[in-house]
Amino acid sequence: MVDLVAQGAVETPTVFDRAKALARFKFGDRFFHGLTFTAAIAVLILLGGVIVSLIIGSIPAIQEFGFGFLVTEVWNPVTDKYGAGAAIFGTLATSIIAMVIAVPIGVGIAIFLSELCPQPLRQPIGIAIELLAGIPSIIYGIWGLFIFAPLLQEYIEPSIIAFFGPIPGLNMLFAGPPYGIGIFTAGFILAIMVLPFISSISRDVFATVPPVLKESAYGLGFTTREVVGNVVIPYTRVGIIGGVMLALGRALGETMAVTFVIGNAHRISTSVLAPGTTISATIANEFTEAVGSLYTSALIELGLILFVITFFVLAIARYMLMRIEKKGAR
Amino acid sequence: MTSSNGTEPGSLPTKITVKDLRFFYGDSLALKTINLSIYANKVTALIGPSGCGKSTLLRVMNRMYDLYPRQRAEGEVLLDGENILTPGQDLNLLRARVGMVFQKPTPFPMSIYDNIAFGIKLYHKVSKSELDGRVETALRGAALWGEVKEKLQDSGLSLSGGQQQRLCIARTVAIQPEVILFDEPCSALDPISTAKVEELIDELTEKYTIAIVTHSMQQAARVSSYTAFMYLGELIEFGKTQTMFTAPENRQTQDYITGRFG
Amino acid sequence: MSLYDARRRKNAFYVTLCYAASAFGLAWLIWILGALIMKGAPGLVPATFTEMTPAPGNTGGLLNAIVGSLIMTIVAVLVGTPIGMLAGTYLAEYGNRSKLAFVIRFINDILLSAPSIVIGLFVYQIVVAPMGHFSAIAGMVALAIIVIPVVVRTTEDMLRLVPSQLREASAALGLPKSMVIQKIAYKAARAGLTTGVLLAIARVSGETAPLLFTALNNQFYATDLNAPMSSLPVVIFQFALSPYADWQQLAWTGALIITMTVLALSIIARVLGSQRKKS
Repeated sequence: MVDLVAQGAVETPTVFDRAKALARFKFGDRFFHGLTFTAAIAVLILLGGVIVSLIIGSIPAIQEFGFGFLVTEVWNPVTDKYGAGAAIFGTLATSIIAMVIAVPIGVGIAIFLSELCPQPLRQPIGIAIELLAGIPSIIYGIWGLFIFAPLLQEYIEPSIIAFFGPIPGLNMLFAGPPYGIGIFTAGFILAIMVLPFISSISRDVFATVPPVLKESAYGLGFTTREVVGNVVIPYTRVGIIGGVMLALGRALGETMAVTFVIGNAHRISTSVLAPGTTISATIANEFTEAVGSLYTSALIELGLILFVITFFVLAIARYMLMRIEKKGAR
Repeated sequence: MTSSNGTEPGSLPTKITVKDLRFFYGDSLALKTINLSIYANKVTALIGPSGCGKSTLLRVMNRMYDLYPRQRAEGEVLLDGENILTPGQDLNLLRARVGMVFQKPTPFPMSIYDNIAFGIKLYHKVSKSELDGRVETALRGAALWGEVKEKLQDSGLSLSGGQQQRLCIARTVAIQPEVILFDEPCSALDPISTAKVEELIDELTEKYTIAIVTHSMQQAARVSSYTAFMYLGELIEFGKTQTMFTAPENRQTQDYITGRFG
Repeated sequence: MSLYDARRRKNAFYVTLCYAASAFGLAWLIWILGALIMKGAPGLVPATFTEMTPAPGNTGGLLNAIVGSLIMTIVAVLVGTPIGMLAGTYLAEYGNRSKLAFVIRFINDILLSAPSIVIGLFVYQIVVAPMGHFSAIAGMVALAIIVIPVVVRTTEDMLRLVPSQLREASAALGLPKSMVIQKIAYKAARAGLTTGVLLAIARVSGETAPLLFTALNNQFYATDLNAPMSSLPVVIFQFALSPYADWQQLAWTGALIITMTVLALSIIARVLGSQRKKS
């Protein structure tokens, strides 16, 4: 303790001395706070800016076509007549197909990873599935167009058409000819793309189930299926729906993959095997070539519609996920 | 509250005086009108069963609770006669004067040297050689110098738990506070490290006023001169440690100390 | 016992389905990566990295596209990261549970998943249209806007993981809040923050849609930020849909390069992330 006492004798800090030192930081403290606040507000402004700019850009088209824009199928740059019907239809149709395929499979993967998979394999398989989300969307596009679509056209679609041909109703839904590209192909590729979102979010929300609950169910002699079906899924339903909505938001706005394989036909067809278009594919294909302000404006209005739809879907998703988070925290 | 016999605490110089202190977590009252004196250059131990408010009381003395929303204190806490609970109190300045060592060692994610130098540089513009000297002094003061002088540039996280805790004490000592608050400083340590830290606390009283929260009554008996026993947010008894442990006045204190509850 | 057998059989059925679902997911990953390597690897010759994108029918490389992608990605990350980190810091350290922070967090999460093509339209409206021409600057702005929400999210998450004891210990030394954040919390969360930036790079380096009508494309080597600039994704888009075999080969090779880069970044990010959890 000699040193300490000696040091104390040399220098006795006064309260004033420190106050001066700290005063120097006061400005920096406030400045940093202000800086972070500004950046946070910038995020708000960004969203506001996106909405406002899309609305302003849409005004000519809104004035010209009014509400009818949403339900008209015509899309004719030559006569300058535009309607979003086909694009909205295609966007919804591809996304619905994607969800029908991806939800059961994604939840199945989550169950596998959280209940069935041997511990050492969980991380590698989990990462591998999530890598699907890391592959850029344009890669899905090029792969879909050159590898997957020809295969569909040659082998799978003909047998689908033949299988459903005699069944009334369904034969309309799966009518030929087999193009390989079209609404179904786009929906299927979207399904693969959103699969990791559904499985990783489901897995996360499964982890919020208190182990006691699961253990007591297993303790009653429940099988894995019964534990999952009666305990895990009911407990996490809200979170799973949140994950599904998030995936839906992705699917609705996905651009490049769809642009490659949708076929770019502005029409509404009863068959899912027929070419179609989506909002995002239309914008991607036509925006740079659009001549005339009305054409451009119609495309921007398409963007606005897409943004509004995804905004609501994503907002619902976040709301659901927030509810499960609160449940987990309790 | 009852004062144990045999002492006249009032005659000692007081560093911190707690007057009619009430503390709230949200709407729930955690401290019910506490009155207490912490004497200068003495070790005061706060003991009591968990949840009794002893840590809360400690965290009022450097206003650590201000980090969290919905926590507030009423009453007065006088540091050298000045109320630190006033809204205008400069918290950083207060915390520089009233240092704190925590339950778990909390070295910063930087080198051993920087862990200490960091705080010094904050308050004083010093030359490199003076800084080196001060770091050494602080590490010596925490009886750690011999163990780390060869590896000052290693991460603070590379030390053992006991060494980390002494590093935290050195860090606190380096900025030369007037009071050091210890919040169960040994609960995460092995017996040998605990002994070292206790020895250190004893030495620190030469320069500092110390308040220590501990769940171990043996520790309170070993290191402190004064002991306050708390129960359910109230200060039950306060007095000289020796008296408290041999002849407590209050029945509850006696029960606790003899291990009948808590 | 028959009821029990039925339950067991039902269970076995569902368990099999779960295995099948996982195999299904993995199969696509293997198929896509396998196809990419098969088609793209033959194009991994030096010329790809030293020559410009060719005119139809000619041979060439991807140099201008690779350089363009690098420039735009780097600038976008350099611009977007500080803004995102500061905003994320506000949410984690200052805003916390306030209404404003809640709203910003919500909006940020929506921006995080918003269609990137809409961001392209937005930047077209605010940068390209006023300037009167496509430019690398517009492309960078679009990519930066995509970087921001990714970094905001990870920054907030990572700062929240910094133990409260560390904050208390720093505050107990009398450190002003900004110093606690900058000198202690950032340092403690360093691995996690790096993960966030890597993920952001991975995210933007594959982005195509927002570049289509901002940076457009440029057949030549260009470093003028005020002019259109080519990028790998846009070149892939253009070349893949062309009828020329040379162009399609370059598209596949470009696709392989991007995918490997992005996957490598994601894997590094993950490894860093898991290290943080362990320590």
